[in-house]
Amino acid sequence: MRIRARGIVPGQASGFALVSLAPFSFVGGVDPATGSILNGATGSTGERLDGRVFVFPAGKGSTVGSYVLYGLGKRGHGPVAIVNRRADSVVAVGATLAGIPMVDRVDVGCLRAGDRVVVDGSRGTIELPDIRAKRVVTAILRNRGRILIVRRSEKVGTFQGKWSAISGRIEGREDPKRRAIVEVREETGIRAITFRGAGDPVLARDGTTIYVVHPFLFDTSNRRVRLDWENVEHRWVRPEELERFESVPRLVDVVAAVLQPSA
Amino acid sequence: MRLTRAQRHLLDDGTGSQRKAMQILLAVGRLADAPRLIPITSAHVSGVSYKMIGDPGLEFLEDFARDARVSVPTTVNPLGTDLGQWQALGVPPTFAEKQGRIARAYEAMGVRRSFTCTPYLIGVRPTFGEHVAWAESSAVCFANSVLGARTNREGGPAALAAAIVGATPEHGLHTDEGREPTVIVKVGVKPRGIDYSLIGLVAGERVGDGLPFFRGFRGTEGDLKWLGAALASSGACAMFHLEGVTPEARRARVKGLKSIAITQGDLAAAKRAHTDGTEAEMIGIGSPQLSSDELREVARLIDRAPPRIPVWVFTSRVVRDANQEAVGIIESRGGRVLADTCLEVTLLEHRFGTVATPSGKGAYYLPSLSRQKVVFEELEVLLERYA
Repeated sequence: MRIRARGIVPGQASGFALVSLAPFSFVGGVDPATGSILNGATGSTGERLDGRVFVFPAGKGSTVGSYVLYGLGKRGHGPVAIVNRRADSVVAVGATLAGIPMVDRVDVGCLRAGDRVVVDGSRGTIELPDIRAKRVVTAILRNRGRILIVRRSEKVGTFQGKWSAISGRIEGREDPKRRAIVEVREETGIRAITFRGAGDPVLARDGTTIYVVHPFLFDTSNRRVRLDWENVEHRWVRPEELERFESVPRLVDVVAAVLQPSA
Repeated sequence: MRLTRAQRHLLDDGTGSQRKAMQILLAVGRLADAPRLIPITSAHVSGVSYKMIGDPGLEFLEDFARDARVSVPTTVNPLGTDLGQWQALGVPPTFAEKQGRIARAYEAMGVRRSFTCTPYLIGVRPTFGEHVAWAESSAVCFANSVLGARTNREGGPAALAAAIVGATPEHGLHTDEGREPTVIVKVGVKPRGIDYSLIGLVAGERVGDGLPFFRGFRGTEGDLKWLGAALASSGACAMFHLEGVTPEARRARVKGLKSIAITQGDLAAAKRAHTDGTEAEMIGIGSPQLSSDELREVARLIDRAPPRIPVWVFTSRVVRDANQEAVGIIESRGGRVLADTCLEVTLLEHRFGTVATPSGKGAYYLPSLSRQKVVFEELEVLLERYA
């Protein structure tokens, strides 16, 4: 699949992903002489940056990081490309000095160590040749501060028994928002809903599939739910209670994407 | 980003470092979604002290200096020691040698041998509305707030790139919207001495990366230097307004802004919070470097009450050379006047564990940058205590 990103440093490169889920500092985070990861918090201690596409949410720490990245690149120990969620100037300048292609605005939580990644910093895209994309909508239905979650039945194709918001596959070129409204009607029987907003897509990983989840928020004045065959149970919960339910991947992030769009 | 023909030419056909400099500005501009590069009249570059940038920084600068040349008047930040006095300070020879190489690399690029964090005190004073590209947070805060010049808080390499190209990405504090205040800070104190530093430290902590509009006190240019330096240390503030004093306060839009208050109690608490040492082993005066007036005042105080522990006074080479009499007084009383370096970037951890200082910026950074315990106090009080 191809993911749209924002190009920061131009150029193309490909390699296997090395993923840090914590923000990363090149000062103290990596051995400048060898490119070995020193920072245990990344979960990849001892791995080397050479030849890898280095994926981390954001840079942090000392501005000397720019020079460290330059030195790594000069000695051939740097990553071949960098993918961030939110790039900062220390890493962006370092990548520029080292000539390392870089993109940001990627939902890095969907990438796994070892994924084959092709980065295009000029066009602002990344390509995952071994990953299939499935586009889905998720409708967050809200009533007086509580949102509706449903438990998926054993008859659905994926995530049986897991808690989810109202969701469904996007067929072909269909408008995602329209699909969301249809799913709400089918799965809850509720017709009187008011559109409140759409969030940026959240990428949820499941094996070699990435679900591109388009989140929508609707208000309803009605808590009477009539489930169809897809779900077996429903609850109106406060958003902060979500963590307690065994849910489909990244439900909390999908909800946050429409309730706190700036975060 | 839209580029002029000349900028496009530098990017495609410039020297190696010109192309690299353009690429840096484009990357930084993309991060901020800047529409274009705007011409600048001066640059001030950080990333000079060997203590701060180490071998990785030295390597980059020596490589870059092979063909990099600045195209606008450019000053640079303080070094990690006074290269004229390093032996007497007990600085290791390798440190001094590498610091000298960094200084020479910058000189080769055509920057002025200024080594100061206060370019505005040695004649680099951009006028109201002038666009510049400065690093060094305290100088940025001063230029924006007190002079009304326009600069973002540039990183070291980005400011160097701007110096080479003669332009910088247009966003943030270069635009009218970016200079609007985000919060009103009412100060219920008539400040004197280190109160200006304390107001800055407290406000920076509360305001974060916002832009404060101060109300309720006045101050000289010198006072606002200390306030801005502290504000830019504890917060990510690159500008402030002070009602009735700073040049853009009158036209700032404050209607509907949230308001916070700073009390005498807040200042006292901040002073306690930044004092974790008891017995100081030296007194450090500076950060930012002293002006001529401040240096002469320090000389007067030290002359009256010479301290029994070492006193290091930090200023620029220009100010030191222009005030030989004050320097003579301080040195005859056992103090040192160091030029080309400053309190928090200078090497002092090889000799000291606890520093007393009247500088809010110094008190803020010494624990992390120099592994020091700190006694944050008025200079008069310190001189009395350590007489």
